[in-house]
Amino acid sequence: MNPVNGSSAVLVRDTILEARDLVLSFGETPALRGASLSVKKGEVLAVMGPSGSGKSTLLHCLAGILAPDSGEVYFDGQRVDAMREGDRSRLRRERFGFVFQFGQLVPELTAEENVALPLLLGGTRREEALRGARAWFERLELDGLERHRAGEMSGGQAQRVALARGLVAHPDVLFADEPTGSLDSLTGELVMGLLTRTACEDGTTVVLVTHEPRVAAYADREVIVRDGRVTVTAAVPG
Amino acid sequence: MIRLGLRLTLGSGREAALRVLVTAAAVALGVGLLLASLAGVNGLHAQTDRGAWLDTSAQASRPTSTSDRLWWLSSTDQFGNEAIDRIDVAAAGPNAPVPPGLSHLPGPGDYYASPALTILLRSEPANELRDRYPGRQIGTIGAAALPSPNSLIIVIGHTARQLSQAPGAVEVGAIQRTPSSCYACQSTVGSGSVLQFILAGGAVALLLPILILIATASRLSAARREQRFAAMRLVGATPRQISVVSAVEAVVAAVAGVAVGLALFFVFRPLLYHVPFTGAPLAQGDLSLHWIDIVLAVIGVPVAAVVSARLALRRVQISPLGVNRRASSRPPRIVRIIPLLAGIAVLAYFDAVGKPGSNGSQILEVLVGFVLLIVGLVLAGPWFTTAGSRLMVKRASRPATLIAGRRLLDNPKAAFRFISGLVIALFIASAAIGALSSVAATNSSGGGSVGKDTLADPFCSFSTTNCPVSAEVPSVPGQVVAELSTTPGVRAVTLVHQSPSQAPERNSFGLVACDQLAKTPAIGKCAPGATVANIGYFLSNLLGHNSHASSTVWPSAQLSAASAARLPVDAVVVATDGSTGSLERARTSLEQAFPFQGGGVAVDALDPSTARLLAMIQDMTDVIIVASLIIAACSLAVNIAAGLGERKRPFSLLRLTGVPIAVLRRVVALESALPLLLVAAVSIVVGLVSAALYLHSQVGIAFSIPGVAYWATVVGGLAASLAVIASTFPLLNRMTGPEVARND
Repeated sequence: MNPVNGSSAVLVRDTILEARDLVLSFGETPALRGASLSVKKGEVLAVMGPSGSGKSTLLHCLAGILAPDSGEVYFDGQRVDAMREGDRSRLRRERFGFVFQFGQLVPELTAEENVALPLLLGGTRREEALRGARAWFERLELDGLERHRAGEMSGGQAQRVALARGLVAHPDVLFADEPTGSLDSLTGELVMGLLTRTACEDGTTVVLVTHEPRVAAYADREVIVRDGRVTVTAAVPG
Repeated sequence: MIRLGLRLTLGSGREAALRVLVTAAAVALGVGLLLASLAGVNGLHAQTDRGAWLDTSAQASRPTSTSDRLWWLSSTDQFGNEAIDRIDVAAAGPNAPVPPGLSHLPGPGDYYASPALTILLRSEPANELRDRYPGRQIGTIGAAALPSPNSLIIVIGHTARQLSQAPGAVEVGAIQRTPSSCYACQSTVGSGSVLQFILAGGAVALLLPILILIATASRLSAARREQRFAAMRLVGATPRQISVVSAVEAVVAAVAGVAVGLALFFVFRPLLYHVPFTGAPLAQGDLSLHWIDIVLAVIGVPVAAVVSARLALRRVQISPLGVNRRASSRPPRIVRIIPLLAGIAVLAYFDAVGKPGSNGSQILEVLVGFVLLIVGLVLAGPWFTTAGSRLMVKRASRPATLIAGRRLLDNPKAAFRFISGLVIALFIASAAIGALSSVAATNSSGGGSVGKDTLADPFCSFSTTNCPVSAEVPSVPGQVVAELSTTPGVRAVTLVHQSPSQAPERNSFGLVACDQLAKTPAIGKCAPGATVANIGYFLSNLLGHNSHASSTVWPSAQLSAASAARLPVDAVVVATDGSTGSLERARTSLEQAFPFQGGGVAVDALDPSTARLLAMIQDMTDVIIVASLIIAACSLAVNIAAGLGERKRPFSLLRLTGVPIAVLRRVVALESALPLLLVAAVSIVVGLVSAALYLHSQVGIAFSIPGVAYWATVVGGLAASLAVIASTFPLLNRMTGPEVARND
């Protein structure tokens, strides 16, 4: 079965996320025109494409942030697009993690409090949440930055803190939208290396939106979005 | 550069226009409130001016010629809970001055009544009100002489010979036209230096929060503006040019705001007449603005906006490479609370050592203490905010509490700045209410319900120290006592006779036969076996010298009842069944029996003029509490909008990751509500403590916690403030929607 060109009534057993024939317009402007895609458990998938192709919109639909005008999104056998907003929010909070391009840390909170935020939202006690958060600092080479604020860290450091925040609650899927877009190439590679390594260690599925082939090279597989459709899918050469 | 500033302000797209619009709307709200407050103050002054003539006797002037003389006697009567200003006049010559609102002086047997009193005179039974006033009504008093449309005033004519014999009557050469500056003149609505002082305090308490609101509004969207200024610096603009552009932006929004604010004021002015500034409704036209008020708004507000914008720019360094916030200053240190503690210490010191001997020292003590407290509260505010935020962060187990606490800790001075005006307003209001409620409690604890049912008509020798001998009541004929006793609802009549040793000792004011005293228990009891008692002062008064008469056993007098009965009468006490009709009938009978000797007052109540003054202060304080809380909440709402502008990206991204909007709402609510509630609590506590210390040291009254009405006003005001804060939630929804994260 080709998830790009066809649709199936039954999810393939190891598929965790699937989009079928998604259509979405912003006013008169079409963003997705029948995009389909499936992601396997534990896979790192890069979604590539030029600016304005619809790749971020596709990610937002997959993550339940946006509801498509038509088409279906499945996560772990559940139909996401038909869920109510509250259920989609809970799904994002409990099963997904996110890393964005920039500006995602709450400026008033320290780095460790930012990382602990998803755990606190899940009802974990504060000390326990902070303990859980601190464990990620060594793993992501952020030792000593626990008490720093967003404004006191470099872009790379802030992005790693955001990565820790995205992974701290052990999500099933990590959505990363241009995670290195605001970083220099060296720092970008450091972040990508850490992202893919930790995701692999934890068995987390990663959906990565980027327009940089260098970043996409960290993925197991890449798809290309053009004019709101997924046009090419290919394994990334080892 | 000005043209560029205008182009950037007005022609930079939808977002820039929206920014100007929001700023202008907030300035308009502030200006509208400012003008409403100024008009309110003007309205109260108009009441004061119209009521000035009622104080004519307080500044008795020497007649310019014998033909200009007018005999004048003013007193305060009462019907139910309403005070009636009674003026007795008698022309001593053909050119005697005529009070305002009257076409001519009433002759003997004639009277004028105000429209509200005319209605009462017609609607109430004659033996409860109309029979108190001798003669017939020949007209109504014109609006020019009425402090308020519902003022109860009567002007009664007499012969000069008749009135000149009345105790307290004075000869005047002219009617007073401007508010007097004498302390004793506080009896009438809106006049007297005490009320002027209170008005000034009320105006300051209200205006300060409004000015802070306007200053806050003019700094809205500062972060966005600063980013644009950095871009301008990159292409070569000088800091001076940036200042000009910033000033132009501020002026455009402020001018638009002033125009809309003026319009809002005039549109909503009719509703303002319903605000009970002093409990006495304002007359049509009272809520007017002087030209200086308009100038203050039209020129002052834009100038203030420019200054505020300039100050805001000084807090950031705008370089071609971006905007840097100046490093936030050190957290407020504990030394900030020293002036506040010093203020309490000053009042506590005088409470411990007793009040200073001279009036000057007393005023100095109060002034130093209260100024230290006000300054201390403003200085200590950021420290209290920091302490509260630290506690919140330390105990935070929820993300919302943590984020809000951290934000407050980040800049406690800024968080406090928006509500600093509230501190002063709530402090002044709480101190005033604390004092008023203690006075009220002192009086209500005197005789219980029986004290409210019993009237006393204290003749001038009882109530004043300079009563002419001619005004003494040598005896009360048995027929008068019998008539009083047969008034429907009257249960007993007791005569208080002048003590032969009436001297400085307070406990020998008068003598009462024990068989009579037993029927009027509100003024005390005799010792067992006594036939005549030496009775002390038994009426309530403002200074708290209430003797708790009903529970007092007066000492026995070494005099027979027959001998006591031959002494002059100092007061008549009438016990009633407590119904309104009975009390008013008894008052009417007392007035008829003892004209010019004052009216009947409840043993357990303040005299009507003092009660009216206290009620006015209470009403004004309620208005100040509610208005200042709502204005502070408006400042906070503007601050919330500005804060959301700064954080819309992280907040919108949090929402994308599934954080419920309720969590963000809690962040916003806590950030605003914590300083508001904390500062309100501190101001209220300090206000009540200072009232307690002042009352105890200066007046000798024990402090009692204000009643339910005060707390209901505070809770209602806080609820309204929280509602204003909650009104920003839709803004939060819109500013943090998914499209913001996508497009920002």
